[in-house]
This record gives sequence, structure tokens and C-alpha cells, in this order.
Amino acid sequence: MKAPLYKNRIEDDIKIRSYYGKYIFNSHFLIFLTIAAGVFLYSLLGILSTMEPTIYLDLIAALIMSLLLLPKYRSLLKEADVLFLPPYEKNMKKYFSYTSQYSFWLNIGLPIVGLVIAILLLSVGHSMLEMVTFAVMSVILYIMAFTIRRNAINSPITQNTVVGMLIVIHFVSLMLLLQNLLLAAAGLGLIFGLYFWINKKQYKNLDWTTLVNYEAILLQKYYQYVSMFTNVHHISKQYKRRKYFDSLLKQPKPSNFNKSHMYEYLFKRTFLRDNDLPMIILRLLLIFAVAMVWVNQLMLSVIIILFALYIIVLQMSQLYTAQAYLLWPKIWPVKREYIRESYIRFSHKLIFIISMALAVLFIILHPVYFYIAVIFPLWGYLLNSYFSKSVYKKEKLLSD
Amino acid sequence: MVLNIDNLTGGYSKTAVIHDINFDIRSGEIVGLIGLNGSGKSTTIKHILGLLNPHKGSIKVNDIQIDEDTEKYRRDLAYIPESPILYEELTLKEHINMTAMAYGLDEQVAWKRAEKLLKVFRLDDKVSMFPTHFSKGMKQKVMLICAFMVEPDLYIIDEPFLGLDPLGIESLIDLMVEERDENRSILMSTHILSTAERYCNRYVILDNGRVLVSGTIEELRQKMEMPDASLDDLYLSLTGGAG
Repeated sequence: MKAPLYKNRIEDDIKIRSYYGKYIFNSHFLIFLTIAAGVFLYSLLGILSTMEPTIYLDLIAALIMSLLLLPKYRSLLKEADVLFLPPYEKNMKKYFSYTSQYSFWLNIGLPIVGLVIAILLLSVGHSMLEMVTFAVMSVILYIMAFTIRRNAINSPITQNTVVGMLIVIHFVSLMLLLQNLLLAAAGLGLIFGLYFWINKKQYKNLDWTTLVNYEAILLQKYYQYVSMFTNVHHISKQYKRRKYFDSLLKQPKPSNFNKSHMYEYLFKRTFLRDNDLPMIILRLLLIFAVAMVWVNQLMLSVIIILFALYIIVLQMSQLYTAQAYLLWPKIWPVKREYIRESYIRFSHKLIFIISMALAVLFIILHPVYFYIAVIFPLWGYLLNSYFSKSVYKKEKLLSD
Repeated sequence: MVLNIDNLTGGYSKTAVIHDINFDIRSGEIVGLIGLNGSGKSTTIKHILGLLNPHKGSIKVNDIQIDEDTEKYRRDLAYIPESPILYEELTLKEHINMTAMAYGLDEQVAWKRAEKLLKVFRLDDKVSMFPTHFSKGMKQKVMLICAFMVEPDLYIIDEPFLGLDPLGIESLIDLMVEERDENRSILMSTHILSTAERYCNRYVILDNGRVLVSGTIEELRQKMEMPDASLDDLYLSLTGGAG
């Protein structure tokens, strides 16, 4: 007997996640995570032990949870389902029920981590009853937010509107109960009010196209996230013109208007017009900069910068693979080695700029040890040399 | 001989899709590669482009096999795919620059040729735009511009008329004839047999991965003993579709 569709789809999704999970949670990253979590907890507990109760801690706790209690529904539907499944819509209750359960648990990791941090913050000045009520309310809000977001897909209300409303309701509900436990009832009233409103707005029949498109967007976002750590072939790249970068994309000089410079010409545009890559690198730089300022400890700053460069170099390799597998480099009368040489030249320049930015931040934080900063561009150079060669080798093996 | 295919057997894996293909193209010829879906046209083209390795036989462009001098082999041909394949991150102008750099064209020479082609295909006011935002026909015109600006000895055109508007088709035919008159050659795969009959010098008809017959329209009529038949009639008769 054939396995039910939901079973196949869930198993496939788990397979994809476990496949990419190996790359994300590799030994380097786990070591970094362990160190980072340990340092974060140690410094947080240190700060909290000396703090007096203040409303700012309540605000931070409520804000963390408001932003994390936004689980998404993964229908696991595919493009072709729009054609084949609508006639079976009435028999698909079980499918949607199982994919709902799967999505519910899929999203639970971050809210749990957030709740632990929030409870630690609330341990300053709040009773056990208040903390337990906060936790129970968070669980209720998580369940309701999941149901509301899922139902909203099949309604004219946009996900952005729903997310905005949920963040406000979560924040107000959690803040109110922290001021007075009885006010939790008001929070419940708000979230159930939103639930009934969305239910009223739902279409009678499923909007298959929207449901499938929504799933495709979530899957792409997952792949984009994974692409921060490894190459993802399923990812469909999107580009946009950033007018402010046009001044960096000039017509090549006559001496550079040739095949040995053409791929650098291409890589510049691929990078600066990539929908995500420049912003991902900027976000990573910001996160690592905040972490360095927060920790403000010499050895950890060094580790953070070395790790930041490692992650960014991994990011960069997608530029190479995006071009190497396309048709035109296989047709044009240009040696394939030029792609690699151009990529190495371009990525060395970019990594140098990034490592210099991190080096400057390091020198500002640790001026006495300014000389240590010299290792960052060197580390960036070595990492980039190593990874660009390994990406090239992999591509060569595949093309052979 | 611009293109010489000798006893070519090949395919995507170890299983052969095309068998013992033989044909050649001389300078200044337009040759039509005709066949049903799945007859082996695209596989043959991929072999000529060097995207697939032959199991047996050889392919020569201007007497050179791809392994002998890959750059020279590729410089002598330009390819126009059935569906436009474009760089999403490049403008039309940048596509032209990339092609010029790839084929080692001088910037000024490349742009002189490109400007003429841009006018022919009415894209001269769109050079700063991203072709990925164009309609399918306009994207196909970008492919045509990039190929024709190179002026190679051999054009390989897969379904050239697909997606083009009537004016585009007319411009393309004019260009093809112009190139033929300049002693350049064209291998064109198409299903539009009436147009092929008017402009091709010779035909290679494929079926199930084998060359059924090849030659000029007169030679085909003689072989088939159908003196007044059109290419359509000959083709249907050959592939068992007539009657």
C-alpha cells in the first residue's frame, strides 16, 4: 500500500533538514555555539546578579518573546499540487492536520531558548507564580499565533499585517500580566479576538495558489538560511538593481576588456545585485560586532572575528557556484580556469575589505593589542584560498 | 568544411540516444535539422557544442575537434538556445559586454555591430534594462544579438522562430540570409518546415536518433520518389505520418 502523501512529504522535509543540518551544525559551528552560549549565559547571569528590579527587564523579556512567538505553517505543498490536489480538497483534512502538527514542532526551538532567557531576566524582581504565568501565557500565545498565521494564509489578510498584529498583541499581553496577573485575561481576549476575526475572513474554499506560493517562499527562506553555511543547489537566486552601487559598476577599462577580466566583471555584479548576499554579510557583520562589544574580552573578540571571517568566506563561495554551473561558461571560448582565477581575485579583495573593517573594530575595542589585528586579513586570505580551491575541486569532479 | 560530423553516437549517459550520425555543413550553407520531439536534435546540438562527450565518432568545426583546441573550436561557433538563457543580474548592455569579452572582440567593433543589431530588433532604447524583465520574444532577441554580433563561422540555432513576433522572424530571416551571403554557415533545428524549405540549402532529417535522410529538397524528392512534394509532405511520409 502506498504511504499517505503527508507521510512522504514530511519524511522528505526531514531528510532535507538532516542533510543540511550536518553542514550547519558541523564541529566548528558547534564549538563556537557552545563557547558563545557559555559566555552569553555567564555574562548574563553576572549582570543579573547585580541588577535591581526594573521595568526595562520586563520590556526586554516581553519583546524577546513577542518576536519569537511567530511560528509558521509549512504546508509542504508543491507547485504541481495546484493542478492535481484541488479535486481532493475535501479529503485532505488528515494531510493538513499532520502537516500542522509537523510545523508546530518544527518552530519550537527558538521560542524555548527565548523563554529560558526571558525567565532568567524575569527572575530579577518577579515571583515564581508570575514567571510560571508568563511561561504558560507564552505557550498559549505560541499555539494561537500558529493557528492564526496558518488560517490567515487562506484569507485576504497579508502575512505582514498578521505578524505586525501578533507582535503588538504578544507584547501587550505579556507586559500586562507582568504588571498584574489578572490582566492576563485582557491578553487572552486580544489574541482570541484576532483568532475569530481571521477565521471570519477565511475563504470558504482553499486558495491553493497562495498556499503553494507561501510554502515556496518559506522553503526558499530555509534554503537561504542554509546557504549561509553551505552551497544549496535548490536555491533560486534573485537579483535586484541597487542604484547606489551603479557607480561601482563602471565599464571596464580597454586594457581590462578581455576574457581574463570578464568573470570579475560578472562577479562584481552578481555580488552587488544579489538580493540577499550583501545584506546577509552586513547582518553577520552587525551581529558579530554587537557580540564583540557585548563580550568586550580580548580572546573572545579574536575568536569571534576568526569565526565571522570563516562564516563570510563560506557565504562567498555561492558566488562561484552560481556562475560555474551555468550554460554560457561552457559555451564561450574562455578557459574555465578564468572563472576560478577571477573568483579568487574578486573574493580576496572583498574578504580583505571585510577583515579590515573587523580589524578596525578590534583596535577600537582593544587599542593596547592593536598588533593582533594583523592576523585577521591573513586569516581571511588563507581561508579564502583554501575554500575557493575546494569549491573548484568539487565543481571539477561534478563536471567530469 | 565548417562542420563535419562523422559516425557520431552519443547521449546523456552510457545509453546512446543518437546513433551513427553523419552530416556536414559547408561554408555559406543553411542546413535544417528536422525531426520530431525526442528524435535527437537537441542531443546532436549538445554534442556539437561540446556539452556531451561522444561515445563514438567525431565532430570537427573548421577541421578541429574540441579536445584539440577548445578555445578555437568554440570561437568559431555561436549558439542560440531554444529558450533564452540570461544572466538575471546583468543588463542588456552588460550581456553584450560579456559576449564581446568572451569572444575577444574589440570594444568598439563589438558595439558597432551590437548597435546595428539592437536597431534591427528594436531594443536600442533598452540597453540599460535587465533582459530578465523582458517578454519571452524580447529575451530571444537578446540571445540573437549576442550571437550575431560575434560573426562566427557557424551558427547553431535551436528553434529560432519560437516566441518571436512576425517582425522579429522577418529580421532574423534577413540576418540569416545576410550571414549566409557572407559565407557563414547555419545549423538550424526547427519544426516550421515551410520556412525551412524556403531558406535552407540542405536538410538532415532525424528519427529515433538516426539520420533518416539528408540532402537538398531535390535530392529528398528523388530519394522519396515524390517529385512535387513539399518538405512537409516528404517529412510526413518519411516518419510515417502521412496517409
